[in-house]
Amino acid sequence: MKPVGVVPFGEVDAIVLKTVAAHILGYLQIATEVAPPMEFPGYAYDNKRFQYDAGAILKAFESVSFHDFTKIIGILDADLFVPILTYVFGEARQGGKCALISLHRLKRNLDGSEASPPVLFERVAKVALHELGHLYNLIHCENERCLMHFSGGIRDLDKAPPYFCRYCSVYLRDALSPAKNDDDKTHDGGNG
Amino acid sequence: MMNKKITIMIVDDEPIVRESFLHWFERLGCMVETAASGFEALEKLKQSAYDLLFVDIKMPGMNGVELLERVKEEYPGTIVIIITAYGSIDTAVEAMKKGAADYLLKPFKPEQLSLVMEKVLNQKKLITEYEYMKGRLEKISRFDNIIGQSGAMQKVFDMIQEVAQSDSSVLIVGETGTGKELIAKAIHAKSRRAQHPFIAINCGAIPESLLESELFGYQKGAFTGATQPRKGFLEIVSGGTLFLDEIGETSPKMQVDLLRVLEEKKITRLGDRCQLDVDFRLVSATRRDLEEEIKRGKFREDFFYRIHVITMQVPALRNRKDDIPLLVEHFIEKYSHETTKKVDHMSRDAMALLQDYDWPGNVRELENAVERAVVLSKSRTLGKEDFSFLRPAAIRTAESQSLRDMEKAYIESVLDDCDWNITRAAKILTVNRVSLHKMIKRYGLIRPLRV
Repeated sequence: MKPVGVVPFGEVDAIVLKTVAAHILGYLQIATEVAPPMEFPGYAYDNKRFQYDAGAILKAFESVSFHDFTKIIGILDADLFVPILTYVFGEARQGGKCALISLHRLKRNLDGSEASPPVLFERVAKVALHELGHLYNLIHCENERCLMHFSGGIRDLDKAPPYFCRYCSVYLRDALSPAKNDDDKTHDGGNG
Repeated sequence: MMNKKITIMIVDDEPIVRESFLHWFERLGCMVETAASGFEALEKLKQSAYDLLFVDIKMPGMNGVELLERVKEEYPGTIVIIITAYGSIDTAVEAMKKGAADYLLKPFKPEQLSLVMEKVLNQKKLITEYEYMKGRLEKISRFDNIIGQSGAMQKVFDMIQEVAQSDSSVLIVGETGTGKELIAKAIHAKSRRAQHPFIAINCGAIPESLLESELFGYQKGAFTGATQPRKGFLEIVSGGTLFLDEIGETSPKMQVDLLRVLEEKKITRLGDRCQLDVDFRLVSATRRDLEEEIKRGKFREDFFYRIHVITMQVPALRNRKDDIPLLVEHFIEKYSHETTKKVDHMSRDAMALLQDYDWPGNVRELENAVERAVVLSKSRTLGKEDFSFLRPAAIRTAESQSLRDMEKAYIESVLDDCDWNITRAAKILTVNRVSLHKMIKRYGLIRPLRV
């Protein structure tokens, strides 16, 4: 099975990238590699909202071929939005190949103070695993003690455990089974 | 995983908003459809059912509030959430008044959408539970309250279904204790009036003067003691079903008054001049032969034709004896549960005894007999001896005796059994106390002196 790729957009702290890669390997036993950085998506800046359009970045991200990776997680330090929501921590298409994670809001605590590095690393890892879950077609889970439970804000995210519930683990295992991943060979690059 | 599959339609003229919603709900595992206009949404609603609609207020052609009104009118079960921008809060409030479940101010925080979804899922759960319970209750009233698998009862069940669909007056004819009120309730429960009141009045049990004020209500000062205005049952029953039991017992004057109500659908409270509109369905019941009563001049012919647009004949228990084992089983279960006595069987000879008996008091008498037997039984099996109170004279019809003599003897024996407690005896005989007093007088029955 091909590895999962972690790609920075512009400048992203190397420790953050390594943390995400280590968590994917540790929790899902999927080989993960940090890929060379991509250009910061200045084109996606929205002058009215003073934020970056997650949909536009994802579209551009998906148009790039990533032959060597089964799934790709892009990380950037920019405040992301989608038209209906004020902000998003991350964005991925259900069952797609590429996901985005924004560090912007993860770096701040509820009281506005700066999050300590361990807290930030844990938050990024959780969002990465959650978005990867969507890439493997997992949907939001009702169980609050599951990483696939929807986190509406920082408080929810901090409460969420760094693991999947029993049911989501089974679905994820099915999605990661060799039979399911055979199509990697034929579909590779279809999204990217 | 999220397993509450709900179907959602996003109605917004902006493709990017539709797409944004679509992705969001796909991650939730919902079935999502989109529509670019109110017209497209209505077309899609004709094809499939949707649990939830997200509707943008500002759309060309048909705006969100207009669509909301159409949806609430044609698909009241569909939940509508209004999406609005900062400038249109007033419209959102208007939409809430017109039936929108909630509104979201664009753009909204992810947690707001999550909360709205939680609310909607809870609402859907309640609706599903309500539908389930309603279905269960319908089953209970059909198969539990009115019991019978005989051909005669199956005809009654079929007729209930048919009659319930119309709004015509129904006359239920049957002997006392055959379950006329249960049938009236079943007709009401299956009719479009089911959500409105069902009011039952026993015309034979209420003195005429009181019946008039009970039915029509009165204004303050209408008669001595009328210190407050009061609504009558004809007003209270509004939209529902009025069940007049023992309609044959109403006085000619009351028949005239009721006839006018049925014709004009208006009433006037006692002591009042204003007419009030009333809307109810009339179901009446009688154990008398009303056509015979008309010949005797005791019942008005025009009133009779008004109340018996549809006539339902309820068979006497002696004419559907096949149902006795099923009824006995039901009553044993009911009373062993109520009394916590572990009675769950009946001996063959006891059952034969019950099937031999003619049950002049019909199902109600059978129920009373089983209740009494269960209460007094000392074993889990009811035997013949538990029904020794059913008099042998009454079990076999004596050819030599006239019906009048048999009725007199039976009433006397029940009164003796109850130590002439009129209330208890009336209950066993399934007549009201007034009627029992009349019978005692008619047959010249005298309470024996105690030594």
